[in-house]
Amino acid sequence: MTDKQLDHSDLDALVLRELSSLPSLAPSRGFQDRVMARVSLPKPAAVVLLQRAGAWALQPRRALALATAYAACVVATVLLAGPWAAAHAGFVVLGASWVAGHVGAWLDTTALAVASWGVRSGVVEALRSAAGSGARLWATVATVAIGYAASGYGLHILLKAPRRSDELARTL
Amino acid sequence: MSTAKDLQSLGDREIVELAKAGKEAAYRELLRRYERPVFSLVYRMVRDRTLAEDLAQETFVKVLNALESYRPEYKFSSWIFKIANNAAIDQLRRRELDTLSLDGSPDARTADEVEATALQAADHGESPLEELESRETGSAIERAIGRLRPEYRTCILLRHVEGRSYEEIAEVMDLPLGTVKTYIHRARLELREYLADLRT
Repeated sequence: MTDKQLDHSDLDALVLRELSSLPSLAPSRGFQDRVMARVSLPKPAAVVLLQRAGAWALQPRRALALATAYAACVVATVLLAGPWAAAHAGFVVLGASWVAGHVGAWLDTTALAVASWGVRSGVVEALRSAAGSGARLWATVATVAIGYAASGYGLHILLKAPRRSDELARTL
Repeated sequence: MSTAKDLQSLGDREIVELAKAGKEAAYRELLRRYERPVFSLVYRMVRDRTLAEDLAQETFVKVLNALESYRPEYKFSSWIFKIANNAAIDQLRRRELDTLSLDGSPDARTADEVEATALQAADHGESPLEELESRETGSAIERAIGRLRPEYRTCILLRHVEGRSYEEIAEVMDLPLGTVKTYIHRARLELREYLADLRT
């Protein structure tokens, strides 16, 4: 083996050694988050279908056509159901009274259950004593009013703030 | 639900399937696996950290937003390296065009402006910033890689830094296998010469 060949093989080995020792370089901190902020994750098929149907139906002409079709269906149902109900008045009255009886019974049972729970748990007593003391009553009313206002304001902020999903939907 | 540790034991194809099903953790696992290899390749191609970050980011956004079109018969790594390499090569071509304006800028109005914007030919030597970055990333071998033709650079980096097979490199670069082998051989010869020059 000549000196020149030895040099070449040494250099070749050096090149390979140097190449394999090159460090793996990392992008700056937050790279993953920056990428993920620009990636739209696929939505479940049902959601996509619903959104497409919504977008399709909300176009002015289609929305008008759907509303007209809906109104026509309602009118047709009433037109068909009216004469039928008149012809079968006895049956309709019987059905209605049966439903009213069941609903009334259920309402009675529920009201009784709520009332007995109120008496047993002492809620009724607490309310009576609160009503007895004027200052306490005002404090309760004020707390409820503030809570109600805060909830309303929170809801307003929640509905006003743009969400990422909305932005993505707009870009699609 | 799959945890990050579970995902680490899965192959790229399974991870891609999970990502297609909408699992964010699968997207992050793909990012974790490839952020360094992709960034390293692009950085060593364009030799500019900010630009490399932008190109790597574009690569990932493009790939992750197009997972539906990924064909599982190809390796995921080949796909992502191909997109990263194309982005880097496009950037280098654009840079080449920018530096090869022989007649000066078309917007130049005076003779001085024409002279100031006209370049005789692209200077392939390193700019001060490039030199600084080259020093940052280190050694003589980094400088030597920076002097290779872009296609040689891609081949040598994928083969000897990322440890990819000749077949995968051929797939990444859309080249015949023989051409890839020739490129790697020539690149190693050139690197040997650069290093020999440095040692004398």
